[in-house]
Amino acid sequence: MESLKKILPWLLWLWLALVILGAFLYAPAAVGFKGSSRILFFHVPMAWVSFLAFLTAGVQSLRYLYAGRERRLDRSAAAAVELGLAFGVLATVTGALWAKVMWGAYWNWDPRQTSILVALLFYAAYLALRAAVEDGETRARLASVYAVLGLVVAPFLYFVMPRMAEFTLHPEPVINAAAKVDMDGKMVQVLMASLAGFTALFYWMHNLSCRIQDVADRKTRSQR
Amino acid sequence: MLPDASSWAAEATAVFAKEWRCELRTRYALSTLALFAFTTLVVVSVSLGPLGVTKSQGSAVLPVLFWIILLFSVAAGLPRSFVQEEESQTATALRLAATPSALFCGKLAYGLTVIFALEALITPIYLAMMSLAVRSPGLLVATLAAGGYGLAAGSTLVAAIIAQARSKGTLFAVMAFPVLLPLLLLSIELTRNAMGGEPAGVALSQLLLYDASVTIAGLMLFPTVWNP
Amino acid sequence: MPSPATLRFENVCRRFGRLSVLEGVSGEVAAGGALLVTGPNGSGKSTLLRCLAGLLVPEAGTIEHDEGDGSLDIAERRRRVGFVSPDLAFYGELTVEENLAFFARLRRAELACGLAILDRLGLPADRRAANLSSGMRQRLRWAWALMHRPRLLLLDEPFQNLDAAGERVTRELLREHLATGLAVVANPSPLEIDRVAGRLELGR
Repeated sequence: MESLKKILPWLLWLWLALVILGAFLYAPAAVGFKGSSRILFFHVPMAWVSFLAFLTAGVQSLRYLYAGRERRLDRSAAAAVELGLAFGVLATVTGALWAKVMWGAYWNWDPRQTSILVALLFYAAYLALRAAVEDGETRARLASVYAVLGLVVAPFLYFVMPRMAEFTLHPEPVINAAAKVDMDGKMVQVLMASLAGFTALFYWMHNLSCRIQDVADRKTRSQR
Repeated sequence: MLPDASSWAAEATAVFAKEWRCELRTRYALSTLALFAFTTLVVVSVSLGPLGVTKSQGSAVLPVLFWIILLFSVAAGLPRSFVQEEESQTATALRLAATPSALFCGKLAYGLTVIFALEALITPIYLAMMSLAVRSPGLLVATLAAGGYGLAAGSTLVAAIIAQARSKGTLFAVMAFPVLLPLLLLSIELTRNAMGGEPAGVALSQLLLYDASVTIAGLMLFPTVWNP
Repeated sequence: MPSPATLRFENVCRRFGRLSVLEGVSGEVAAGGALLVTGPNGSGKSTLLRCLAGLLVPEAGTIEHDEGDGSLDIAERRRRVGFVSPDLAFYGELTVEENLAFFARLRRAELACGLAILDRLGLPADRRAANLSSGMRQRLRWAWALMHRPRLLLLDEPFQNLDAAGERVTRELLREHLATGLAVVANPSPLEIDRVAGRLELGR
């Protein structure tokens, strides 16, 4: 079991390396999108992972509030938000680069672009809140409430609001790309593989972050 | 020892009455909001008026400015209802005596009446200064009511959170804006429709849905925010 | 006749950041007596009282308060307790009577009871709370704490700022309370009070 755990990160890196190769060599360019469409193999999973991260933060915060107030859960939520912001920013940047190539401008106030930006603002505010509260228990409690509020706000921003708009530049099946319509079979394969890889990457990074925090916590405890 | 409905209502009313009694003796919130709103209003009309805003430009821009004025006035004056409790240390007595849900509703009702008073003050002035015609006044009133309610509910919850933190002013704006954004977008669209005489469409029911969601979220989350 | 009220706390721990303020504090008191808590500044007396009042949640340990019909949870304890503390403040823009009336409505208590105590304490009902001297403010805290006839009184530096007359009246009130109720009294210096049921020394 232990040796399996040690191998897993290497397997993850191998998987992601294959995804990158697949994105450039195996999958064809999308019809009408030229070579730049390959960015979607990274842009879409990053956006998905940021949502997943915020969801994780919300769930961990719920558990903190209603299942025992263990501070470890609150720290886990904070780590998830940090990763969510990182992936979200990457998704926004890759999206902007693609927008520049495709439509000539980095930012178009496309509903999906805008709503993800607002989601990032929401979670940046989460970190600002954490920084502004000194007492550990109060900080954990208030931040958890806000993250739980995010469980309502984030799905709305990621999924509902973009569909409410009448016109969007985003190509149609986007984040839940169980694409029925326009995507080539090979593209679907690479995209699915990339989604899986990035999801695993998030959980691995989150797990690492929590373990580092646990070690730091044990160290402070033993110093008392 | 579950409180019965009538005493819960009495508690919420007591909080509401206390807020207004204190407010009328200091006139802090009313003067801050009114002054802020009026000043911003003057800036907007002075800069846009002489340019002669055309009808189409007007219908695009003016509803946006109106709701921005409301939003920032609220941010300037409303959080104090919770911040003051913490800073003057009356929060301890309140924590020991009040039922959280009644407290939340009392403060929400107070915020609501302040916002409605503000809307009643600046809407006619805004319409007059910008020479705006409103084809569907009924829709405008409904939008002001539903949008104002959402502002009150969202602001009350966020104010309760930031009251226990530092750098409360900036933190309030940073935290409230993403939460209130859907409300603002819907209210702006509805205001535009009211001015142009178009039907409300699905936006009004979405706004009411937002109001209901924020209220439920507030009632469920406030006790955890308020008590340790 | 309901069974007597009790308060029991065991192994209460509370820290603020790195600072461990309470490390495994235990004690108990039953109706008819007062638990006296002493200790130097910073030894955690106020923190302990806040934990007992339900204003803070301890990181470890248990607090059980029973008023004769089963153990109360923290929210009920919060509402029933009578609490006096130096950092308790009231609404400056409201008069003394308006303050008490507001809290009486929140607590569903009889305002008449609160006004009667105000009278005994010699507080002017129509003075704005902001215009009270520190001694008057302390008397108002007592009136507020007793207004809803609590079984458990938590007193943190109860006679602070009081003149001789004020101290006499409040001691009387405490004695009357202890006939059927219980109390925990914290003070930096030793206090002479009747019906001391136990002593707890918090130290560094």
